[in-house]
Amino acid sequence: MNHSKKLLRLLFCAICIFSGKYTLLAQQSSADSALLDRVSTLEQQVSDQKQGESHFMVVGLATVGFVANKTTTTSSGISQKVKTNSMADADHYELSPMLLWRHGSNLLVEFEPSFDGYGLGVNWAAISYFATPGVIVRAGYFVLPFGTYNKRLAAGWIDKVAGDPVGVADLPPSSDFGVEVEGGLPMGNMKWNYDVAVTNGMQLLPDGELQGAGIVDNNKNKTITARLGWLPFQNSSLEIGVSGMFGKVGDAGSAYENLKTDMYAVDLNYVHNINPFLVNIKGQYNFIHIGDAQYANPADSSSYTFKNQTNSGFVQLSLRPTAGDNKIVKNLELAFRYGNFKTPDASMWSQTTSSYDIGLDYWLSWRTVLKFTYQTQNINNTVPAKLAGEANIAKSNSFFLQFSTEF
Amino acid sequence: MKLLKKISKASASIIAGLIICIVIVITGCKASQAVAAKSGAQLWAENCQRCHNTPSPSSFSHDQWETIGLHMQSRALITDDERNKIVTFLKQSSN
Repeated sequence: MNHSKKLLRLLFCAICIFSGKYTLLAQQSSADSALLDRVSTLEQQVSDQKQGESHFMVVGLATVGFVANKTTTTSSGISQKVKTNSMADADHYELSPMLLWRHGSNLLVEFEPSFDGYGLGVNWAAISYFATPGVIVRAGYFVLPFGTYNKRLAAGWIDKVAGDPVGVADLPPSSDFGVEVEGGLPMGNMKWNYDVAVTNGMQLLPDGELQGAGIVDNNKNKTITARLGWLPFQNSSLEIGVSGMFGKVGDAGSAYENLKTDMYAVDLNYVHNINPFLVNIKGQYNFIHIGDAQYANPADSSSYTFKNQTNSGFVQLSLRPTAGDNKIVKNLELAFRYGNFKTPDASMWSQTTSSYDIGLDYWLSWRTVLKFTYQTQNINNTVPAKLAGEANIAKSNSFFLQFSTEF
Repeated sequence: MKLLKKISKASASIIAGLIICIVIVITGCKASQAVAAKSGAQLWAENCQRCHNTPSPSSFSHDQWETIGLHMQSRALITDDERNKIVTFLKQSSN
């Protein structure tokens, strides 16, 4: 009897042990299955997010603000004052989303439509192929390598004062259709870069002004624009550049068919931390020359001539405190810019403009800035009376409050 | 016709010569040891501020930095080595 009881007890214990083991195994198997399911779900999610070789993104810039202006014009001893204020005027508003599409690490498509006070336009639309170290080939509609202001500094969130320097941003036209080859290369402790473009070029108007020829060239000749940049210091703090633009500008079959233009620009960029400031000096000088020709006088359809030469330039200094712990002070930047713009003497648009800008910027982030700029401009209009012009002197004072960001 | 052929030959020779010169110049350009040893962080600090404030690494994702790296290289004309190091630094620092 005792023996039977012992056997029953042993049997009971064995059943308990085996059933417990199987329960544990079943639980473990269930846990493994859940884990595998989770891993599988995560793998799927990662796979869904994977970009492959292509990547598309939208960045861009937005500039908004307020402009108050007072202009006093004096002609024949009589002065006239005009006061305006706008939110903001045509030259100080811009919304430009930039679409970037990258395929692998060699192909980049860039498209930047832009809405400003003059309407909807396109800043650039081009395909770039990064062929080999130091060689980028671009085709389409792109910013010309004439100086550096248009290509590197014109964005509102980069510019230290509100607005472009007078006569530099739009003369000659900043973008054109064509092909471009560019690159940056080391040279021992120095660096250099080159940028060469072949484009449709410009079109000469009957009054002697220039405009972009557009997507259909006005003649068989192509315009060559080139810039050579040199960074002599190991820390890249200084860059000096020289540019040239050469081509025929007259319409095919017109009296101006063989008229050539030669343009030159020099630019300078110096950025260096000289305790307790980050010192930033920028400058550019443009010289535009078009060959001699007889132009049409719209006043009486007679012809007239003048030396078709235009000069423009600016120099800019800005200082940003870098020492100390005060965040508010370190986010401030003081900027000063002088600009000069001289159009051809004795032409329909003969004018000399001097511009002085002083600004205080507050950086809300590395790409967002609030600018306070005061600008004074002296504009001397000297259009000859024989061209139905009226000489006058205008003094313009403007206050800008501008907010600009890169998004 | 002969003159045209002569001009064409001369033009072709000039173009070929120019291409050879450009290839020699480009392939012959090398950075000094000190420049080649620069880190991505140092290049980021030196080059970005030439035009704008130095960007925060957390502003964009890894893929976005790759794309922006190409765009900025074509604007500032930094070297390929500089672009690679700066983009690597920004990607590593954004984690």
